[in-house]
Amino acid sequence: MKIGKNILKRFTDLPEATQDLRYLLDDVGVEVKRTETSDVGDVFTVELLANRGDHYCYAGIARELNGRTNAGVRLPQSTLLSLGTSPVPLSIQSDKCSLYSITELVRTADGDLDAQAKAVLTAAGLNSVTPPVDATNVANAELGQPTHAFDADTIVGSITVRESIAGETAWLLFTEEPTELPEGTLIIADDAKVLAVAGVIGCEESKSTASTTRIYLESAAFDPIAVRKGARSLSVHTDSSARFERGSDASLVLTGAGRVAQLMASAGWDVRGTTGQVGDWSDERRTIALDIPHAAAFLEYPLTPDTVRDRLGRYAFAVSPNYPEWAAEDGWIAPQSTQERSSDRNRNTLLVRVPPHRVWDVEFAADLYEDLAKSIGYNEMPEHLPPIDLGGVPTERQQNMERVEEVLLAGGFFEVFTDGFHGRELAEKAGVEEGHPLAAHVETENAMDRGYSLLKNNGLYQAVEAIGVNLRMRTDQVKAYEWTRTFHPTTDGGCDERHILWAICSGNASTPSWDGKGRPADAFFMKGLVANMAETLRLPLTIEHASEDEPLASLLHPHRQASIRLNGRVVGCLGEVHPTVLRGHKIKRARPVYMELCTDALAVSGARPTYVEPSANHPILRSLAFLLPTGVYADELAEHLRTTSPTWLDSVDIVDEFVLDRGRAVTFALSYSSDEGARSADEVNAVTEGLIGTVAAKYGDRGVELRA
Amino acid sequence: MAAPDVNAILSAFRAELDAVSDPKALDELRRKHTGKKSPLKLAFKDLREVPADQRSEVAAALNSARDQIETDVAAAVERVEQQAITDALDREWTDMTMPGVGTERGARHPLTVVERECLELLRRLGFSLVDGPEVETAFYNFDALNIPEHHPARDMQDTFWVKGGSLLRSHTTTVQARVLESRPSLPIRVASAGRVYRNEAVDATHLAMFHQLEGIWVDKGLTFAHLKGLLGFIARSLYGEERPIRFKPKFYPYTEPSIGVDLQCGSCAGAGCESCHGAGWVTILGAGMVHPKVFTQFGYDPDKVSGIAFGLGTTRMAGQWTGVKKIRSLYETDLRVHRALTGGAA
Repeated sequence: MKIGKNILKRFTDLPEATQDLRYLLDDVGVEVKRTETSDVGDVFTVELLANRGDHYCYAGIARELNGRTNAGVRLPQSTLLSLGTSPVPLSIQSDKCSLYSITELVRTADGDLDAQAKAVLTAAGLNSVTPPVDATNVANAELGQPTHAFDADTIVGSITVRESIAGETAWLLFTEEPTELPEGTLIIADDAKVLAVAGVIGCEESKSTASTTRIYLESAAFDPIAVRKGARSLSVHTDSSARFERGSDASLVLTGAGRVAQLMASAGWDVRGTTGQVGDWSDERRTIALDIPHAAAFLEYPLTPDTVRDRLGRYAFAVSPNYPEWAAEDGWIAPQSTQERSSDRNRNTLLVRVPPHRVWDVEFAADLYEDLAKSIGYNEMPEHLPPIDLGGVPTERQQNMERVEEVLLAGGFFEVFTDGFHGRELAEKAGVEEGHPLAAHVETENAMDRGYSLLKNNGLYQAVEAIGVNLRMRTDQVKAYEWTRTFHPTTDGGCDERHILWAICSGNASTPSWDGKGRPADAFFMKGLVANMAETLRLPLTIEHASEDEPLASLLHPHRQASIRLNGRVVGCLGEVHPTVLRGHKIKRARPVYMELCTDALAVSGARPTYVEPSANHPILRSLAFLLPTGVYADELAEHLRTTSPTWLDSVDIVDEFVLDRGRAVTFALSYSSDEGARSADEVNAVTEGLIGTVAAKYGDRGVELRA
Repeated sequence: MAAPDVNAILSAFRAELDAVSDPKALDELRRKHTGKKSPLKLAFKDLREVPADQRSEVAAALNSARDQIETDVAAAVERVEQQAITDALDREWTDMTMPGVGTERGARHPLTVVERECLELLRRLGFSLVDGPEVETAFYNFDALNIPEHHPARDMQDTFWVKGGSLLRSHTTTVQARVLESRPSLPIRVASAGRVYRNEAVDATHLAMFHQLEGIWVDKGLTFAHLKGLLGFIARSLYGEERPIRFKPKFYPYTEPSIGVDLQCGSCAGAGCESCHGAGWVTILGAGMVHPKVFTQFGYDPDKVSGIAFGLGTTRMAGQWTGVKKIRSLYETDLRVHRALTGGAA
């Protein structure tokens, strides 16, 4: 909403400097988003609170400012309308309209609104249309009472407020043809047609034009939800609907129409006859008991009955005299809760009557505390921390996340965030089709952007997309990770959320430098990273042959992928991204490696290491190189050597690989303990020879042989 | 026999010493002039031939000559070795302006840094971290938080609806509702951080997904001053005592009174700029005293307990933390952006 400083000045006294006024508006909760200068002076674009329909006008903002400044509120002059015979038969056939009035005005001379009124339109950014339309817009901006002008000569028979029936249409203003209304829409109709969607918009067939000489001025109080439903179902949002949706002030129905009549008088329009009004609205006189000591304690601010009366009175609340006067006066009816209280407590209680424009947001004593605080100023209120006892410690999961991050950061990875959803095209780029384990998604149904249609069920799509983004920017060295969650549809139509960590890398394992290119960030680099994580976490995370059940399996290189397991359970996977997926993203010059880990694994406490005294004797080392044909795994052989050796073989490590024409030569380093006393070289050699024999016996048929 | 010519011995040694420039030759020179067959040793052997009245004087002269040779050789060794080191170093001249070598360290996302800072502050106040689902029900996202259907407040949070009737949470306040529903014993002090979603057109400053951090403190006797104290503690701890903050009225359906905290814009020091939309201030968090209806919803008596609830816009806070003007940048996967945001440091 836009408000002009010079216009607001008509309603209450303001700080002179625009910057000071802006600060004051912010300080009372009328947030200024923008300031600009126009023909009518400085204009503020303000963001209003969603529960304060009464702020949608100059009078409301002035009243809010008055709550702080106590400078008084000046309302514009209104023609005093007399209720009586309606110029047209009126009826309400819905409980969603509590008051409806029609006033007839006739054009007696050609004219226009005065400059002050026009300035209101200019500040609001509204164009001048005709005096009746302009006057309704001005009055709404000034007082917050939407009104509407029908061309009286287009009205057939009576005017009725009712709900639309199935198939009923309305030719809405500014549209080319009639629109079918949802059944139950609150409308204004005559005997032949729909005149308006209540509180939202008028219709072409009854609109006032430059040639109109007689109007029926509508002023009413409509149910907020009915107006909101009407506006939303038609996707039509107007100043009027914004006001009604937040709850209008039924006590303004006549005053608002009177203000329109006052404005139109200067344009040559006169009220004819009396105003017709139907409806059963009456001020409910909502009363709230305000316990002064409780309010003072809650706000930690000294309050007396007099200060409460003063401050709430500025916002137009009526505040009772002290107890027991209010109990004795007819005008004050205490709420139930107060009636049940002891007189001791009532002695400290005031009754506060809520004005009609605040019944939509003031229901509890806490609501009044807010107004008291606003009147004093939030920045003037006391401020201190509550009493505090000992703080907590991070959970195992939080600590483990940070430990894992340290491994990733040391490895050169940057944390990124991707959206929780993506478009279908990402699944298509990965080649995922119906029947694939990743084909099932939780889907959004009203996303404004097609890119948000599927909730992600893996991290790989967006990780590979990130690689593409960076390659296009000529960033070849990419290491990125994300803590995120994936969403998986359940058979009962629900959603299973899983927390994951993904990491992707492309380029070199270490940062390339001028002294050499270094090794590529390949699957072994990622494997090493996971091994580091396992060591840091002291968790038995192992990397084993790929699981056949891994949903990501087909998106990774068939021979360069592995499963990550915790105590034998698959908790993740890693591997080189499948060239088909890369082709889908038009990535040609990179072979990124991806890792995904279910972070439930991180909720587990790692085992504390047990100290084992290092041997005082140096180990006895031997190396064995075997020729391994394709299909025979090195770790298979290493495990065989471990299990078939005597207990004094401390370790078997794979230390080298050399690719030959007829296979790979893999070197195993064997470390024997000499703790039992001096072992002879012959003894160690005999054991080593024995191991060679067992390998030949078990793997000879598969082509494994000792490399000479 | 005449006394040996000690000066001649020394002169001969020194003449040779000056010509020697490597440690090995120096060692040979030392052996030549102090070894078994050296003139000096021979002179010692011949000492008995020297008349008795001169013998002690000659012996002293020979000892002195030997000491001088040893001293001179040691000094020459030091000089030569030092020279050798100097020469070697000169040969190893290196252009140290060449870049360092090693693995570049990565970095945590600024959002994570801000979030962790906040959580650490809250932990000091006794808060513990809880988690909640991102795919939520309308009950926890709206109804339980005093946002009934058709209330305009629902417009504040354009919602992504998920097929099947659920929605993507539009705020982390859902976790508060779940915590209150579980009725833990007082005091309740929990925080929750994570992604939230808004179904709106994305531009440089509006996102369909961003981050929030939510907290709730429920106990007997909590006041508005406590609310301000807590919010001020968080804001000043993060941004420094000297950075101005201000409190202002806000509206959230689940709190009453509601309050917002503005931080003076770090980009313009309050003068108004693009990142603060000319306001000079940036709202970093919204909060309030827990609404009586929320308490009633979950069976608490609002006359007996009170609560502080707050939500930190960690995305916006990270924007102020880093100085980034368009918060969309925080969600880029272009690592050039991240290097620029973090300086490569976590």
